[in-house]
Amino acid sequence: MLTDITIGQFFPGNSLLHRLDPRIKLVLTLFYIVLVFVPQNWLGLLIAVAFLIVALACSRLPARLILRSLKPTVPIILLTAIINLFYVAGDVLWSWWIFTITYQGVTTAVFIAIRLLCLIAGSSLLTYTTSPTTLTDAMERLLKPLKWLHINIHELAMMMTIALRFIPTLIEETDQIMSAQKARGADMESGGLMQRVRALVPVLIPLFVSAFRRAIDLAMAMECRCYHGGKGRTRMKQLHMQARDYMSLAVAALVLAGIILLNIYIPATI
Amino acid sequence: MSLLETRDLVYTYAPRTPFEKTALKQVSVAIEEGELVGVIGHTGSGKSTLIQHLNGLLRPTAGQVLLDGKDIWEEPKKIRAVRFAVGMVFQYPEHQLFEETVYKDIAFGPKNQGLSEEKIDSRVREAAKAVELSDDLLEKSPFELSGGQKRRVAIAGVMAMRPRILILDEPTAGLDPRGRDRVLRLIRQYRDAHNTTVILVSHSMEDVARIADRVLVMNGGEVAMLDTAANVFSRGEELTEMGLSVPAVTRIWMELRKRGLDVGENVYTVAQAAERLLPLLKGGDARVD
Repeated sequence: MLTDITIGQFFPGNSLLHRLDPRIKLVLTLFYIVLVFVPQNWLGLLIAVAFLIVALACSRLPARLILRSLKPTVPIILLTAIINLFYVAGDVLWSWWIFTITYQGVTTAVFIAIRLLCLIAGSSLLTYTTSPTTLTDAMERLLKPLKWLHINIHELAMMMTIALRFIPTLIEETDQIMSAQKARGADMESGGLMQRVRALVPVLIPLFVSAFRRAIDLAMAMECRCYHGGKGRTRMKQLHMQARDYMSLAVAALVLAGIILLNIYIPATI
Repeated sequence: MSLLETRDLVYTYAPRTPFEKTALKQVSVAIEEGELVGVIGHTGSGKSTLIQHLNGLLRPTAGQVLLDGKDIWEEPKKIRAVRFAVGMVFQYPEHQLFEETVYKDIAFGPKNQGLSEEKIDSRVREAAKAVELSDDLLEKSPFELSGGQKRRVAIAGVMAMRPRILILDEPTAGLDPRGRDRVLRLIRQYRDAHNTTVILVSHSMEDVARIADRVLVMNGGEVAMLDTAANVFSRGEELTEMGLSVPAVTRIWMELRKRGLDVGENVYTVAQAAERLLPLLKGGDARVD
């Protein structure tokens, strides 16, 4: 069923990671994405992985969820690993026709695969522990300086909030329309490509109609409540930095410093 | 043997996630040929989940759904045949209209059944007549119609498949009183004309009281009651505990009796109440002590 989709899904909770300031979480995620590309040796990479595992433990989410978020990316990661496996030059381990596998190739492939897995797991940890509205809120705050470039951040954030807000609604609606058409004998599971595309028409048309209807209703409701953009708008929930937020930044900085030191003192593996 | 039966039906939404929720717990009900069953229960009671099992849209986590005594999941490849035999009209069915004309939309189901052109034509016209849609509407776009008309088109779309069992999920939701009366009358007429078994899910006790032979009350994913409308509505207090109400006229009746008026057994439709009340008013027998 469509409702089984978990990418970008939020799992409410009250763990340390859930309570962390969303701005910090966003910054830390970006920070982590950079961080996984810094290590050049196994020990450094191990620290990056350990950092992720500690963060996962702090989120109190079942590890199964993270594994599930990784599943759809496996083909991409395998492809990247295979390309690396064959294209890195070095000491030949095995060779046949035009294919050669080198010792360095194997190392690089494994190294890159782990990096990518960390990257995806790390970013899904952000969406798992932060509700979409809090996340856009954080983005709006972090991008505030762009106001000087006359970019209307508030409007962008509002559009994003609304779009995110309606994803589950539209998924649910798609599910129901599909059920209704299946109840009338629509066949969406068999047939060739063209047949399947044609079978989507009875789902897409009602979905579009309803998306427009919802958009009109929402615009009307917002106008009725005198919405007129971000000017002079205050927030019900103000974001305040806490001790734990500064602490987590400090920990992340220490980890990065550690990895850089290891890069300097241990010879690079790749 | 019952026409449609569920045996120890269990259904769990989103299993093995933090959102896991058991919507049905060991539900066993049997529905007989030709009867009109009303299903009530408040939001989250499992009534929508239950009916989606009856035509194989949901596959039970455990337990069985039997149509003519045969498990509908015995041959999963033939589930479409079950969906034609058990027609399902979803909540707000007008949101599922998609064709260019009303005619084509009603023909969608019969066409999927693989019927011939002539047969489809006769089915469409018959169904349109059953829901009182005039011929000139058939060539219009469904998006031009009024809310009530759209609703009737959508119901006709399922009737045109000539199901043996017709399930309607809140067919009167969001309609004005006249539209509601009309839809209920049409459902009843259709049942009488074709002897189709009908299952009607509703929030409105009045609707259910007015047309159902038997009433199924769902509560917390379990069957709380399955009995005649009279018997179910006589258990007003239990219904109130479940967050449900009895029809307004039944409430008035209970109150009248509490105040010592001899108005006889509980009633649950306005027509019954009038029948009971008029002789009393004329005779002047009933008096407050």
